[in-house]
Amino acid sequence: METQVFKVPDSFKKDFKYTFCPGCDHGIAIRLVGEVMDELGIRENTIAATSIGCSVTIYDFLDMDSIEAPHGRALAVATGVKRANPDKFVFTYSGDGDFASIGIAESLHTALRGESISSICINNTTYGMTGGQLGPTTLMGQITTTSPTGRNVEYYGYPVKIAEHIALCDGTAFSARVSLDTIANIKKAKQAIKKAFEVQLQGLGFGFVEILSTCPTNWHMSPEQAHERVRNEMMPVFVPGVYKDVTNI
Amino acid sequence: MVECLAGKKVLTKGNYAIANAAVIAGCDCYFGYPITPQSEIGEFMSGKMQELKKAYVSAESELAAINMALGACATGKKAMTSSSSCAVSLMQEALSYATSDELPIVLVSVMRCGPGLGNIFPSQGDYNQSTIGGGDGDYKVIVLSPSNVQEAVDLTYKAFYLAQKYRNPVILLADGLLGQMMEPVEFSEYPYPEIDNSSWALSGAKGRAARIIRSYSPTEDFQCEHIRHLFKKYRIIQENEVMFEELYTEDADIVVFSFGSLSRNVKATVKNLRAEGLKVGFFRPITLFPFPDKRISEIADRVDKFLTIEVNMGQMVRDIKLAVNGKIPVEFFGKPVGSWPSVEDIEVAIKGAMS
Amino acid sequence: MEKNFVIAGFGGQGVLLAGEVLANAFMLDNKNVTWYPSYGAEMRGGTVNCEVVMSDDEVSSVNKKEADYVIVLNQASFDKFECKVKKGGYLIVNTSLAEQKENRADIHYIYAPISKMAVDLGNVKMANMLALGILLKVGGFLSVDILEKALDVVLPVHRKNLLPLNKNAMEIGYKYDLLVAGC
Repeated sequence: METQVFKVPDSFKKDFKYTFCPGCDHGIAIRLVGEVMDELGIRENTIAATSIGCSVTIYDFLDMDSIEAPHGRALAVATGVKRANPDKFVFTYSGDGDFASIGIAESLHTALRGESISSICINNTTYGMTGGQLGPTTLMGQITTTSPTGRNVEYYGYPVKIAEHIALCDGTAFSARVSLDTIANIKKAKQAIKKAFEVQLQGLGFGFVEILSTCPTNWHMSPEQAHERVRNEMMPVFVPGVYKDVTNI
Repeated sequence: MVECLAGKKVLTKGNYAIANAAVIAGCDCYFGYPITPQSEIGEFMSGKMQELKKAYVSAESELAAINMALGACATGKKAMTSSSSCAVSLMQEALSYATSDELPIVLVSVMRCGPGLGNIFPSQGDYNQSTIGGGDGDYKVIVLSPSNVQEAVDLTYKAFYLAQKYRNPVILLADGLLGQMMEPVEFSEYPYPEIDNSSWALSGAKGRAARIIRSYSPTEDFQCEHIRHLFKKYRIIQENEVMFEELYTEDADIVVFSFGSLSRNVKATVKNLRAEGLKVGFFRPITLFPFPDKRISEIADRVDKFLTIEVNMGQMVRDIKLAVNGKIPVEFFGKPVGSWPSVEDIEVAIKGAMS
Repeated sequence: MEKNFVIAGFGGQGVLLAGEVLANAFMLDNKNVTWYPSYGAEMRGGTVNCEVVMSDDEVSSVNKKEADYVIVLNQASFDKFECKVKKGGYLIVNTSLAEQKENRADIHYIYAPISKMAVDLGNVKMANMLALGILLKVGGFLSVDILEKALDVVLPVHRKNLLPLNKNAMEIGYKYDLLVAGC
């Protein structure tokens, strides 16, 4: 007897082409978003605001209406979409540079206003699309093309812990950090994405998931090594967990 | 504050008049951040939009405000933001995106003085900022320039209409005097037809292919085509939407140009000089883009000289010179910032240019 | 014909409101009119003022160098605006708060203890409406009736109870036996 154990989510475009580098976790993250959209039945009611960076290509995978925001402005654009259309499901999908560097004001204020918006941020400790420069989440000591001797405090200061910051905002309904390094963690990640989407549908406020993710190309690693790095170097600093969940109080 | 009172005049402050006109024009969403001398617009909208159960956000910055408008416009809603000079600088990026995305943002820009922070002194220093802009790439924004409060109301209606009609951002370029002064205005009903945007607006991909609104361009050819398409649209706007006010140009020896509320001082002076028997004409572009260059060129064929008066160091005068294309001399009289030149000052300037 | 008016005093004397009432009155009288507040650099120096320009034609400009009629409700305003009265124009001076002193021979000075009159009426805040009444008497360009209608337009609903007192102030101002000096 044959059993189907895996399928492309229905919310995906039929003719999508995989465009990420081998071993990049964007592919898994976007698949999880697609699966959650299937399960919640929201694809046809969704308007996404994407941003600049590798994350923007989510609109090439998911069969949904979307608008590409200027760099860092995804959550401002999403706020405009949602306020103008409170009945639509609105989410953003961006990288750490977009969400927590150039767009940190928009991100924090969207959470502070408690907008009914869901937001996913891919944290891979580097600027991927532009070639591996230092970003807001680059780890201490990490070598990048703009931190040639490794991140030090003197020149670069400290990395930002996004999920914790978002959890501090009164308007946040859900904030979690997840990783995609094991099957078990991928399952947890999907649960978190679903929760971040559900709090919007329930009108509870801002739902947020930070996803620890690989960038094998710019880390100069194999996919396997990259996931080991997530586990051994990133997770001790960016500790996975649920930092706020108003449905669980 | 009234919403719509056709047939009745109400003494109204310029900023409130613009805001009220926006509501009558069907503005669904207002996003803003305070800056003098336009803060009354946001103050008015904060109360009115909540009363009408429409969208209002006190944005964290002008960057956020105009990008919220971008998002709302992408869903086919009428969205507006307002700001002034140094803060409109922050909005240039989104204006560039909105032209490429073809999104109908209405931006009310009430000029103060720059560069930098400058101050709240009156100025016309943002002619270039509005008509040329500081965003990247080849693009045009429709710019409407009212000279009194009633016209600010009428052009607010028009701003929403043109934005929708051409799917292009529109700037209503007012100034601190106009924003702060009160004049009798009549708020008629919105005089334009509603534009159907169901063919492009984002509403969720239900029963149709997904729509992506983006300025990203996958190939050189695609981008060439896109920009050609935009400029074809700009040409249509130039052919159809030019507005100007013209007085005594038929037999004039000299024609004096100005824009915005300053043009009232200029027009009054020209009338005085006509009464003295001097052959002076007056011309005021109402649309700064599309600029009335065709009409200006025609007038240049039968007039000896042009004089442009602005409260800046000479911005619109460049467009006049381009329109004239060297046919006749174009002189400039201006001052960097501050109270508009008086009728007496302007009289001296015109007589100086005539001698 | 175009005429312009400046009303000046310190914050709280209701000069902006007085200007608004005057501008509304001209509007009700089917004139073109513009009200313009002290703004920008004009706001510095301890005085608040507004300008009202009335015209049969389009209003040409605001922020004019000189005014046909100026009301000064305190000394700082007197000092600032005495030189800005048009030759042959009128300066209405609140002698309760400004000196009775003529530095020019080419304008009319109208003196009245406006603040004291307002206190006698029971509310010092009525000074602005008293001043408008006096202005009307001096200028003769509007009826008190239209001014009172304009006041009704301007006063917000929650202040309508002050309408009778304000109207009374206008009438007392209008009937005041003027003390005129100058040309």
